[in-house]
This record gives sequence, structure tokens and C-alpha cells, in this order.
Amino acid sequence: MSRERDLDQMLRELSPSTRREFLKRAAAMGITAAAAQAMIIKNPTIVTAGPSAKRGGTIRILSHQEVASLSPDDIGPTMQWNIITQIHNALVEVNDNFVVERVLASNYLASKDGLTYTFALRKGVKFHDGTEFTADDVKYTYEFHMNPNNATIQGVLFKAVDKVETPDKYTVVVKMKEPNAAFLRQAATVFIVPARYHGRIGEKAYKAAPIGTGAFRLKEWRPAEFTVVEAFDQHFRGRPNADFFRQDVVPDPSVRAIALRTGTSDSSAWPLLSEDNLRFEAEGGYTVFRTSSLAVNHFPLNNDHPILSDKRVRQAMMHAIDRQRLIDDVFRGTAIIAHSIFPPALQYWYEKGVKQYPYSPDRARTLLEEAGWRMGPGGVRVKDGTRLSFTCAVITGDRARRPEAEIAQQDLAGVGMEMRIVERPVATILSQLPKGEMDASLFNWTYNGGGGEPDPSATLAVGAARNFSRFKNQRVEELLPAGLREVDPAKRRKIYSEIQKIVAEEVPFLHIMYWDWFIIFGKRIKGLPASTQSGSTLIRDAYKWWIE
Amino acid sequence: MLRYLASRLMQGSVVILLVSIGTFSMMHLIPGDPVDLMVGEAQVTQEQLDMIRKKWGFDRPIHEQYLAWITNMARGDFGQSVVRTGVPVRNMISEAAVVTAKLNLLAFFISIALAIPLGIVAAVRRYSGFDYAIMVSSTLGLALPNFWIGLMLIVLFSLLLGWLPPFGLPSWQGYVMPVAVIVANQTALLARMMRASTIEGIGEDYVRTARAKGLSEGIVVSRHVVRNALLPVVTVIGYRIAFLLSGTIVIENVFALPGLGQLFIESVNRVDYQVVQAIVFVLSVLVVLGNLLTDLVYGYIDPRIRIG
Repeated sequence: MSRERDLDQMLRELSPSTRREFLKRAAAMGITAAAAQAMIIKNPTIVTAGPSAKRGGTIRILSHQEVASLSPDDIGPTMQWNIITQIHNALVEVNDNFVVERVLASNYLASKDGLTYTFALRKGVKFHDGTEFTADDVKYTYEFHMNPNNATIQGVLFKAVDKVETPDKYTVVVKMKEPNAAFLRQAATVFIVPARYHGRIGEKAYKAAPIGTGAFRLKEWRPAEFTVVEAFDQHFRGRPNADFFRQDVVPDPSVRAIALRTGTSDSSAWPLLSEDNLRFEAEGGYTVFRTSSLAVNHFPLNNDHPILSDKRVRQAMMHAIDRQRLIDDVFRGTAIIAHSIFPPALQYWYEKGVKQYPYSPDRARTLLEEAGWRMGPGGVRVKDGTRLSFTCAVITGDRARRPEAEIAQQDLAGVGMEMRIVERPVATILSQLPKGEMDASLFNWTYNGGGGEPDPSATLAVGAARNFSRFKNQRVEELLPAGLREVDPAKRRKIYSEIQKIVAEEVPFLHIMYWDWFIIFGKRIKGLPASTQSGSTLIRDAYKWWIE
Repeated sequence: MLRYLASRLMQGSVVILLVSIGTFSMMHLIPGDPVDLMVGEAQVTQEQLDMIRKKWGFDRPIHEQYLAWITNMARGDFGQSVVRTGVPVRNMISEAAVVTAKLNLLAFFISIALAIPLGIVAAVRRYSGFDYAIMVSSTLGLALPNFWIGLMLIVLFSLLLGWLPPFGLPSWQGYVMPVAVIVANQTALLARMMRASTIEGIGEDYVRTARAKGLSEGIVVSRHVVRNALLPVVTVIGYRIAFLLSGTIVIENVFALPGLGQLFIESVNRVDYQVVQAIVFVLSVLVVLGNLLTDLVYGYIDPRIRIG
């Protein structure tokens, strides 16, 4: 424990800004993952509320979509996350630099074998209805998700949990069926609901009337128009600076940019058009956060397709597409080329030494020749009477990615491949791809576990619901469960490095780029961090901001 | 008259039933369902997706799902949204419908009040400066896309002048720009129609007769020309009633108004079956009633048309 105590001591001595910097570096060093082994990082929540913080006012941010539910189980859509995180807390939460912070847990300990997690709870934490938060609420919340009859979305995060025990009012012991290294970042970050209240009104009613321990409590919810939460005086980290936090639904990105410019709103939680982003960035006077998306922009390819099942064909496509040109022409330079299925932002897990695919039509042609595809009539290659042709379904009305598909189409045509483009609704794409009923598509998806957790089982395992490319690889099948069972971060890192290398070699899908994610704040908002790695987590921390 | 009404309403119900079957089948023929979207990028297993589908009854045969839905509809239960799960569809629709109806009724009355006199005057003073001004501005009103006019108004009145809020309905001021856009478009359409049918009327024999009788020009136009010229305009107005609740999707989108058009488009994109079906149901009822109303008004305006 000496390493932890040293760290703890160091953290306390540092000034707020350097502490943040330190935490960032700690994350980069892998202390992130060591958290799974009873790593202790002091909760840095108190540090930002400097002496200059002002009270009062309404923070107004913009969303592009309605807030359809306020239940923690519906936290998936980013615009819902923005509100649900203001109202609720979890035992631990992952901060904007992917460091695990203790929130409702004052301390936690994982046993060496990874089979027991013991959480000591903060005392005196109040829910918005004034009742005290205790171990019963944690047990109730976790068991609610574990019960298959409730069919919750987050239920799967608890699949390795055997039982939840509460030896006393302020202690929770989670017993695992098998070690699961993702537990802390995926399950212990699930928001806690009050047992008695939720039990009485049920999940359906709770979606419209949530009660949490968060810094803000619900004031008014008009799903398609706006949501307002108000400061909770008895919040355990202290009352937030702002009186209200309001999120307005404004679907049109140009109108969001105007609202930001006129000062009607303080920020847009969903990105503006790239030209507007760049203009705000260039102008100055605004606080601009430019982070890298955790989701990869990719063309999933059906790996069972007679043509696309050949690795050389897929590799040839990687070489044939000029990705830098896509970034420059379609996205005005606001993206970086993807080399791995993990974004570079996941510093600890990101593997630099993977096979790379520089733009080279010649290399693409050679690979296609090796695979037996000879140039045929109309500039399309042919093998055994089959034309090198497939169909790519882009999302209906997707104005951002349709041009991307069209430029890729030209690049592929340049080496003798025909990619036809059709448009399909998202629901159709998501359901047909994993079943192999579609050749290819184009969208962004996260190939890691989220919240700084690397596990890509949901997207790479054979038969997984989100294995869009029907990828199957014997070695990866062994590595995925091994990565979850392994609790030593250094050993885990080796496993995920190998997975990244295999995927880069096999290219089950064309990994194209990681978009830059812009969050822009108007001048009024103070208390923002100096830098951040995750735009959505940034908005979660609205309780730290104040209005100047 | 009552028999006529009863038979028209009977026919209308058959139409509505057929529309409901059509919508239901179309929605369910789209491969994929809302569950995939609802779950988003959460870490899920296939087993779990199946469990969620079962919870929503999507695993049941289609005809069973339709019967369950239509029986509920008959009882006034519009069902449950898969996306906005905590709120009954009936509330979703009624809240959104109020916004859209307010917006459209306002615009509707203003544009009728503007278009009919403008059209008449333009026709009477054909080829005058006024006529040209009306023709040019109505061509622009019809040709310029609504979203563009909307954005330009926002740039002018919110960004440059700072007079009006750029989005939403924080006060009555929020209605000004969206209503203006609809009015611009509808007035253009109605004024052109009114002008054309008035010009046609002015050339008729009965107008010459009326003039020959020595009636003043004002009475000729108001009693003889306008009454006949209104018929095609009434047809268009009646037809627009059906669009009162759906025709402003683009405007709702630009000005961020939580109306029915916006709800409809979002629900189609999210394959939110029950919401889409319920909205189409409500709209088809409106179309049927709107048509009936138009026919009744015909009878009133044109004595040659007898209903009964």
C-alpha cells in the first residue's frame, strides 16, 4: 500500500492545476488500470471551486436531440447523459481524463484474485427527497440490473456479479462469479437510485421523475423542448455554484452556432458544423475544447461475403483510400487518421506498433493481383467470372458521411473496385450488418469498453450483438475472455496490444479516422478545466462551473 | 343531409382503418427495430437484446401486434413510445399538436386575411406596378425554401439586430419568425390562386351583364366575381387543413419548436412504431374531416352544389 499512500500524499500537496496535470500523467502511466487493484486516487472534486467562484445564474447548453428519459438505465445517448449525470452519482465515476474517482464510495478495495470488491460508502449523503443514501440503495440498484425480468440495458455489465452483500449500512461487498477487470469502470459507475422511492414508483415512472444524490435535482422536463435542473443545497460535495442548469433542444447546427454567438446559450453539447467550430476556435474569446472521439469512423465489411472475406482485398482497400484527403476535404482537417481500433486518447491501452496502411494505390493493386483479381471490362476487376463489386449502405440523409463514402468510392474505383452506395435507415443497418445481410456500411462506433475500459468483446467476439463485420479470429476469441479475467493492468495491456495488432492485420473493417470532438463555451462560463480528454465528461462536471 | 354526413363518416372510417393497416405494415416491413437504436453503443449481448425485444412484445407475430394496437387505439390508449418510455404517446402527441396547431392557425388566418384582398386587387389592377410587385414577391415566397428564409430571418433579427430569440418559444416573440415564414409561403400560394381565378371571373359573360346593368365596379367585383373566384381557393384551404398539424416539419426543425412534425420525423427515424402509427392515425382523421368540411363549405358558397 505504500505506493498508494505516497500518491495520496503527493496529490494533497499539489496545487489544483498541477494536480489535474498530475492525474492526467498518472492516467497515461497506467495508474488508471491499477485502480482495479485498490489503487487510491484522492477525489479531486473540491479543487476547482476556487475563491473567485460566483453563485447564481443559469447555465444554458444546447442539445441536438430530445431528452427522452431521465433514468440512469437510458444514459446511452449523450444528450441524456448530460442531464442524468447532473441528477445522479455512482460509487465511482471516471473523470474527463479517464481516471477513476471515488464519488459515493469513500474508499474501495479489490481482492487480489479479483473476486471481491469492498466499497466503503460516504456517510451523510442525501438524496433529493432528503432520505439518506445507504448500502441498501446500492444493493437495490445492482440487483435491479441483475434481475433478467427487468431486461435493463445495463444488466449485462453485472453478468460476472454473483451477489451483493451489505454487512453494515455503509459497506457494500460485491462478490464475483469470476474475475472481471471491467467491473469497476463499467458496473461500479452505474448510477445509484433510491431503493425505497424507485421500488415504490417503478422504473417506468422513474424515467420521468428521478431522484438522485447529484448536484442538481429535476425542476422541469419537456423532453423535446428543454430540461432544467436546479441546485441541490444538500449535495454532499457542496451546493453547485449555478442555480440552474438548462439544456435546450435545437436540432439545426447553424441555429446552435447563432445561439452561442448571441449569448442566448453558453455551449453546444453536440458539435456544430466543422466550419463554425473552426471559426469559433480562430476568433478567440471562446473556450474551445478539441478532444478526439473515442469512436472510430469506419466501414464495417461483411467478412463472410464471398469477395470481402479475402484479407488481401480488405487490406487493398485500406491502401487504396486516401484518408488524409478525406479528412481534409470532407471534414476540414478536424479528424486524425485511425491506425488502431483504440483511439490514441486511450493512452494507456493504445498500441502504436500495429500494421499501418499508408495511401498507396500501387500497393493496393499488387494485393488485388496477388488475390487473383485481374482488370476486367469497365475498369472493374474480375475473378472467375465475378466482378469485384459490393454495396455500401450509408445512413439515410447522412450529410456528413455520404460525401466521405463518395470519395472513397472514387479511390476504390481507381484500383478497380466497384463500391455502390445506397442509403438505409440506421435501425436497418444496425440490425442487418451483424446478421451478414449487408455487404458494408459507414458510421462511427466505439470499439472499446467506454470510460477508459479497453474490453472490445461487445464488438469483436463471435456472435456478439455489435460484431458488425462478423469478425472471427481464433486468437482473439481466446484473448477477449482472458483480458477480462486478468486483473493485472500490465498483463492486460499485453493482451489488448495483441488484439489491436491482430485487428490491424486482419482489417475486418476499414478503420478510417477519429473525429475531433469540439465543445465550445461562451465567455460567461468559468471553472472549466485547462484541458480534457472527454467532451461528454466535461459537461457532467457542470457543478464545478460558475457564471461570471 | 344527416344521411349524407353519416355515409361520408362511414367511408372515412374505412379509409382510416386502411391507412392504419398500411402504416403498421410499412413500419414493420422496415428491417430492424427500435431496440437497436434504444440500446445505442451500450455494451450489450444478443441474449439481452432478445430479452428487451420480448419485454416490448416485438417477438410476437405482426398481426397480433396490430390487433393489440388497434384495440388499444379504439379504447383511446395510443400506446407507449419505445424511446420516450416514461410518457404515454397520447400526451406526446397532444403536447406537440398544441405547438403546431397554434403556429399554423395563426399563420393560416394571417395568410388568408392577406392573400385574398391582395389577389383581388392584383387581378383588378392587372399589369399595374402593384400587380407586378405581388407576382414577384409571391414567386419568391413560393420558390425560396422555408429553411433558408428561416435561417436568414434568424441571422437578421437575432444575430444582427438582436430583437428576437433565435430558437424556441420563450415568449410570444418566439412565434414571430416561424409564423412569418409560413405566412410568406402560404400567402404567396393563395394570392396567386386568388388573382388567377379573379382574372378568369372578370372575363365571364355574367360579369359583363352585371356591368351592363349599370352596377358599380365595386359591387360587380365583390358580389359576382369574388364569390365565384373563391371556390378553387376554398379547395386549397380545405386541403391545407390536413397539413395544419404536419406541414411545418422544416420550420419546427429550424426554429427548434417541439411540434408534431418534428416528433413525427424523429419517430420515423427511430422506428418508434406506436408514435408514428398514432400520428398517422390522427392525421388521417384530420384529412377525412377536412375534406368533409370543404365539401360542406362548397355547398354554402356555390348554390349550384347541393348536398344531401
